[in-house]
Amino acid sequence: MLDILGAALIGLGTVFFVAGTVGLLRFPDIFCRLHALTKADGLGLALIALGVALMADGAGDVVRITLIWFFVAVAGATCGHLIARYARRAMPEGRHD
Amino acid sequence: MRQTERLIDTTPTPARSGGSVITIDTATPAGAARGRRFLTMAVVLLVIWAALTDFRPDALVFGLPAVLAGAGLVFLMPTSPRWRLSLRGAPGFVLWFVAQSVRGAVDVAWRAFAPQMPLRPGFRRYPMALPAGAPRVLFLNTVTLLPGTLSAELAGDSVVVHMLDTRADLAADLNALEARVAALFALT
Repeated sequence: MLDILGAALIGLGTVFFVAGTVGLLRFPDIFCRLHALTKADGLGLALIALGVALMADGAGDVVRITLIWFFVAVAGATCGHLIARYARRAMPEGRHD
Repeated sequence: MRQTERLIDTTPTPARSGGSVITIDTATPAGAARGRRFLTMAVVLLVIWAALTDFRPDALVFGLPAVLAGAGLVFLMPTSPRWRLSLRGAPGFVLWFVAQSVRGAVDVAWRAFAPQMPLRPGFRRYPMALPAGAPRVLFLNTVTLLPGTLSAELAGDSVVVHMLDTRADLAADLNALEARVAALFALT
């Protein structure tokens, strides 16, 4: 039962990863693409981590999966901000705001 | 420890006195504050290392130097203002955080898959009321998870937010987020 639920969560997570990739390819500029990567992939990873945690053998694995999710989530949001800041400063004047 | 509201102290610097607030001390020299932070960080890193290695004692051959080096970084970084977490505000924040990140991801996934790709992107400036330090960092990182908003750049006490649809009510969303962060850090 837990395996079925875990597999369903992993499947749903990959849908969000696909959505993030589609956004990366289709969205018009770097800022919109960052939205797709930070948000869709973030939830995709969370769902996959949850699914894998349900199938995990022991508490140690669950803790390690949680740590992976936490650090990727923090790094994703921080890197998104840093890339956006760099892109804004590289933009020609007059396009700001 | 009072039952109504328990608070986690992290960085010890001047304390605020309040009925439901537990503080460690009132005035600490910067050196002692750094030493306290070093110990806190070392304990956190040691727990993470233990979890990663399934509490194998022989793994500490590598773990102890790594923990000491990692915790030693607090001496290289500027001290940030102290912060405390409100255990009463935490469950509400976590639930809201989960709901918002699901909403944000579904929103952007829908826009990516939609044939016409409904976007009206642009930048908006938002003045932050939260104090600098950990509350502001959490706020900025969470803005990126909200539907249609991305924290793009800091400008003094304002944040430049990139929006997928500039017709959305930015101020209302970010005011709500600031209130949640303030509750989490026992600032209200």
